Amino acid sequence: MTLSFSLTKRLRQWRYEFSPSALSLWATLWLIFAVLLLYPIAFMLKGAVVYEGRFTLDFFALLLRDPQLADALKGSFGLALTSTSLTLALAIPIAYAMVRYRLPLKGVLNVVLLVPMISPPFVSAIAVRKLLARFGPINQLLIALGVVDPTNPPSWLDYPFWGIVILQVLHFLPIAYLNCVAALARIDRSLEEAAQSLGAHGFRLFRTVTLPLMMPGLFAAGSLVFILAFTDLGTPLVFNYTRVIAVQVFHRVEQALEDPTGYAMVLLVMVLSVVIFWTSKRWAERWQVQTMPRAAGETGECILPLPLAWLLFAAIFLVAFLAILPNIAVVLNAFADRWFMTILPDRWTTRYFEQLLVYSLTATAIRNSLLYSLASATLDILLGLAIAYLVVRGKAPLPQWLDGMAMLPLAIPGIVVAFGYVGAFANTPLDPRQNPVLLLIIAYAIRRLPYMVRACYAGLQQASEILEEASLNLGASPFRTFVKITLPQILPHLIAGGIMAFAFAMLEVSDSLILAFDQRYFPITKAIYALANRLEGGVQMASAMGILGMLVLGFSLVLSTRLMGRRMGEVFKV
Amino acid sequence: MMPVRVENIVKWLGKTLVLRGITLDFRAGEFFFLLGPSGCGKTTFLRVLAGFLFPEEGRVFFGEREVTFLPPHKRNAAMVFQHYALFPHMSVWDNVAYGLKVRKLPRHEIELRVRDALRLVRLKGFERRFPLQLSGGQQQRVALARAIAVHPDLLLLDEPLSNLDAKLRAEMRSELKELQRKLGVTTVYVTHDQKEALAMADRIAVMREGRVEQVGTPTELYRRPRSRFVAEFLGDANVWEGRIVALHSEQVSVETPFGILHCHPPDFPVREGERVWVMIRPEAVVFVSDGSQQLPNTFVARIERAVYLGEATEVVARVRDIKVKALHFRAQDGGFAHEVRLQFAPNDLVLLPHEEAATVAV
Repeated sequence: MTLSFSLTKRLRQWRYEFSPSALSLWATLWLIFAVLLLYPIAFMLKGAVVYEGRFTLDFFALLLRDPQLADALKGSFGLALTSTSLTLALAIPIAYAMVRYRLPLKGVLNVVLLVPMISPPFVSAIAVRKLLARFGPINQLLIALGVVDPTNPPSWLDYPFWGIVILQVLHFLPIAYLNCVAALARIDRSLEEAAQSLGAHGFRLFRTVTLPLMMPGLFAAGSLVFILAFTDLGTPLVFNYTRVIAVQVFHRVEQALEDPTGYAMVLLVMVLSVVIFWTSKRWAERWQVQTMPRAAGETGECILPLPLAWLLFAAIFLVAFLAILPNIAVVLNAFADRWFMTILPDRWTTRYFEQLLVYSLTATAIRNSLLYSLASATLDILLGLAIAYLVVRGKAPLPQWLDGMAMLPLAIPGIVVAFGYVGAFANTPLDPRQNPVLLLIIAYAIRRLPYMVRACYAGLQQASEILEEASLNLGASPFRTFVKITLPQILPHLIAGGIMAFAFAMLEVSDSLILAFDQRYFPITKAIYALANRLEGGVQMASAMGILGMLVLGFSLVLSTRLMGRRMGEVFKV
Repeated sequence: MMPVRVENIVKWLGKTLVLRGITLDFRAGEFFFLLGPSGCGKTTFLRVLAGFLFPEEGRVFFGEREVTFLPPHKRNAAMVFQHYALFPHMSVWDNVAYGLKVRKLPRHEIELRVRDALRLVRLKGFERRFPLQLSGGQQQRVALARAIAVHPDLLLLDEPLSNLDAKLRAEMRSELKELQRKLGVTTVYVTHDQKEALAMADRIAVMREGRVEQVGTPTELYRRPRSRFVAEFLGDANVWEGRIVALHSEQVSVETPFGILHCHPPDFPVREGERVWVMIRPEAVVFVSDGSQQLPNTFVARIERAVYLGEATEVVARVRDIKVKALHFRAQDGGFAHEVRLQFAPNDLVLLPHEEAATVAV
């Protein structure tokens, strides 16, 4: 009685507080989230715990008893832990050196360190797999150097675990590096100075003050890398490494409806990543200490003796170069006409690029990806704008819940959403096994929605609300005000966000691999995967296609950074 | 207790010359204030003392020891930061004990000193709290306790009261002064608040654009400033332009827009005909009630405005169109007459060098 009374009271209050158009937009957004995000998760949950009308946890038990699945679970943990610790072990010292010391050619280092971001690790994995082949270029190099016996070279691919680890570490390094830099930048320098004036210095200062204050940021970076590594599908797939949960999920997509252990597995992954994500977020909020502006001209960089500075530069450059190596391997592969039993290709060609446009699989995939990405970017712009406007301007009830919904895809791995779509929308008009176009567009859009919303937040927070009020005061309607006053102010952010959404959709891996069943609907990434397993010229064409994607992504990153300026960082933080 | 001496400190930050040759002596146990408007280089100078910045020229001595290029952790100069810089991941106790642990003191000694420091700042019982659970005033005390616990040779305070509300700030002033006296540690305090400096300092250095303008006790600086800048920075002042017309050993006569003023001779050399500034504090202006009495420097003034402030009335009057600010301390029933007689006692009039004239003389 009182509950329904307070609810009607609350609703009536909302009607006074918010405009009908804002309320209906708000309701529409919730409907979209309900259908596209909550329903698939609920569907999997039901599939996992309800069997023949009864509640059961048998499938989770089965999951842990099945030796293959338990092994995969252990494998994923091992892989993610190894990759995460190695990534952080590299990223922390590099970030510290880059932020705190004056180094030669710092600008160059900063660019080189970020390059690996532009390629999905599985594209480089394809190229690296070839490098590591028994009679491949690496062994040829080692033979030439006399390190390795030419009659019996080591078979590197027998250790797929370490291959995956290396590729993941190198690929995740830029993300971890950026987060470590942010964690360091957030530390109020006067805290370290206080410790110094109390007599601390060197490693003691780092251990007692700097590191503990970096911890929330480091944990955030670590958990992000952990989730990405844990749910990475592309790289293990390329190395034919089945002892990870993502690959097991992938192989169960076909029987999604018959085998509920698939749902149980996906849910386990989801719960794990959501818990990790929220823990790190809560922790990061704990020590939010405002950083104080530095006196002009004080950079806070320590000056090192020149030889030491160059030594440090060389060390960082070496790591950065190693991180780019897989990308270089992709380029070499794409242009290699003949590359057999030699260190470098002995004949070069652009044939594979020409073939991309002729060959039906690749030509269709490029066309498909352009269409999907364009559509999903448009959808993202519309959704992002609407959500950001309602949340930032406080135009609708419960803004923090809407924000939480929009950020949810950050915490839910791609394989979870994709797998849920296959199950939840089977035998509906959206069934991906019939025609995945709509679901691919939606999946891409949902995955990149958090970044888009953040870009819009940044824009709206910059845009002056007073101008909007002035426009309303002069008699313009809210809609006219939005179009004429608000929109022009946030346009750069909107375009930047849109470009990013477009570019990342072009190289989205897990959704593409899981949702596209029929070759006619393959996007670029699934075509790359299909090509990589062909013998004649497959790897080369896959590499050529990968370069195409990398170019699009790299160019988009540069373009959006130009548009967003320094606020770009806000989009990518954990 | 340790005297500290700096000689001719020059410091560039980027392309700005922030300190243009600073020479100062801090006596052992002295409470010394650096006072100046923002951007005058006072914080930079404090950071040079702390060792966070090394000067391009000049030397810093702690006692007989030169510390110019000694890193901060080897100086034993504890600093209280403007925003306190308490370690958010450590409890109050751990914050205060930090410097003692770094110095590897025995456990019981640490316990003793932390307890002492917290008792001195009246924060007993707060040991287990974390900085974010404390109010601004409490955080400020923890920062102070942390600095004094290490028994520093030099205590540096960077606008420590600027983040407190007005009432608390006034309370902390007297408390800090008492604490400093009790500890007897040589203390350098940076502030832009002249009231703070006047109320607490043993001596003050007024800084302007990277230079020390004047050093002295609060009364010296307030009553006998040596430049117009110091005069106006330390408090309200009437400043008029004048020209010296007669020089005597006891008295100097200055021609001002409203007449001849007889002043106490200045402590800088002047010549007849030289342009000077004449300064008098509003509270030194005397309201002459008895018209029959013949006092020097007495003028008829027209009252323009009188604002009641409670403890006094601020009066703005005009002597032949020249504005004069005065404070009247006795409650005046029924307001002021339209005209009053104001007197400027020769001893309260201060002559200040006219910068333009000075440059011409050079």
